[in-house]
Amino acid sequence: MIAALPPPPPAVSAPAPERSIGTVDEVRVAAALTDARVMVDSSFRGASIVLYGAVFNPGDQPADVVVVVRGPDAPVRLVKKTRNMGVWLNSRPVLFEGAPGFYMTASTRPLSDIADFGQLRRLGVGVDHLRINAPEESRTVTRYGVRDVVVSRLGEDYLDFRRAVIRLREAAALYNTDPEGVEFVDRGLFRAEVELPAVAPTGRYFAEVWLFQDGEPVSVSNLTLTVEKVGIERDIFEFAHRRPWTYGLLCVLLAAFTGWAASRLFRRQ
Amino acid sequence: MDIYLPIAEVSVNWPLLVLLGAVVGFVSGLFGIGGGFLMAPILIFLGIPPAVAVASQASHVVASSTSGVISYTSQKAVDYKIGLVMAGGGVLGALLGVELFRYLRLLGQADLAVALAYLLFLGAIGTLMLYESLGQIMRRVRGEVAPHKERRRPLWLYGLPLKMRFPRSGLYISAIPPFALGGFVGVLSAIMGVGGGFILVPAMLYVLRMRAGVVVGTSLFQIIIVTAMTTILQAGRNQTVDIVLSTLLLLGGVVGAQYGAKWSGRFRAEELRAVLGLIVLMVGIQMGLELFVRPSDLFAFAPGIAQ
Repeated sequence: MIAALPPPPPAVSAPAPERSIGTVDEVRVAAALTDARVMVDSSFRGASIVLYGAVFNPGDQPADVVVVVRGPDAPVRLVKKTRNMGVWLNSRPVLFEGAPGFYMTASTRPLSDIADFGQLRRLGVGVDHLRINAPEESRTVTRYGVRDVVVSRLGEDYLDFRRAVIRLREAAALYNTDPEGVEFVDRGLFRAEVELPAVAPTGRYFAEVWLFQDGEPVSVSNLTLTVEKVGIERDIFEFAHRRPWTYGLLCVLLAAFTGWAASRLFRRQ
Repeated sequence: MDIYLPIAEVSVNWPLLVLLGAVVGFVSGLFGIGGGFLMAPILIFLGIPPAVAVASQASHVVASSTSGVISYTSQKAVDYKIGLVMAGGGVLGALLGVELFRYLRLLGQADLAVALAYLLFLGAIGTLMLYESLGQIMRRVRGEVAPHKERRRPLWLYGLPLKMRFPRSGLYISAIPPFALGGFVGVLSAIMGVGGGFILVPAMLYVLRMRAGVVVGTSLFQIIIVTAMTTILQAGRNQTVDIVLSTLLLLGGVVGAQYGAKWSGRFRAEELRAVLGLIVLMVGIQMGLELFVRPSDLFAFAPGIAQ
């Protein structure tokens, strides 16, 4: 069963641990999704996909599995409400780039126990390590003789803005961190659930399954997942975007016709 | 019972939307208004993105107004001539309003504009309606005679050029005031997603002094043209019209409107106005409250990303 699984792509950044060179090629992870295509039709209320996989670990050293699923990137704009003369007003919007429309991690243990801060940041694993930034708000200056120091015009608020992007997305169930989301069903065989809410964006999703040993990534398996509108939902969406004026006219005609038909129908009764 | 809306990109309970359409339709038939001011806030409350809510419910207004105009036409209670002059202004206003709304969204100030417009206009109109109708009810209860009303148009209406005759309304005035009124309501219709009947009707009665019998029918006629224009513009410029959402709303809406119209005969006009004034005032206050209450989260996503 395990042998039948396709060999994983080479580890992206897995520096070989010095101790067990002989086995490092053998320690690997392979994974697959129950559904690589999520179809959004009129009955779509979100989807739950199971990611299952196998860890091939001949040694005794324990391994941790981290599943990362990220949705298509889309810039987001954020405003902060401030009180001016008793009235809550919006600040100028701040544009953040590189925020995935969906992001989840599931792991066997809390991420901070699996690897250290630097490692997680380098791999971009975990909501705290997402590369979200507001390029328009930052500029480079020379400070204390050091050139190209990035300074944000938002100043101290910058981190608050960044945290707010994540907090608001978490509230919409678009960002998720589950420190116990990877469950071993048998020795070497694990599963994790990917919960897509109804508001999940359409597009291509990328799933990475990392295998960590001693805080070092030793293997990774990459998967893709497509969320797309199908059937009538897709037709309407495409129509509204390809021929927006015709679509608008049709909406108005439909409304006027319904109004006319109703008045006809009720007058007869 | 949930349905996924293709443009709004959210999943909602569809019988609830049909019911909402029916209730708002009933209210609109009962009071002879479009009901947009009631629908947009409720849709936003249900989780529909505000831009989609405002744009999609405009077609609900088109449907209920169409059925209203048909019945008023059969009673010869529509002045098409002044209606077209007002609609001319309205279309211009809608064009301006849609562009203004786009610009406000880019600035992140669309919420502020919507909240302020609701607070100011609904608050003022609601208060006036409530005050006037309660006074009338009190007088009736006490058995007093209504005081004689000053039945004169403001003098400045006569000084303006481009005079036109509007026989059905019993008017011989400049075309500029109705055109300007239509334009103003057109801007509001694009920003607030309302037909604007709650402003048009009092303005036509008390400023233009049109014959009372043709006021509601004519305002509905103007509203059809302006909201139809707004719908097309919102679809064309912003792609925010959700045909599934608007169909669900108007299916309930047209049925509700017919029953509302039948029921309206059972109440006295001033009682209806008092209730409507109260509803209008409450919606205005509710929408305006967000300006004064500390938000639960200081940060919010701003829609409308520059393309």
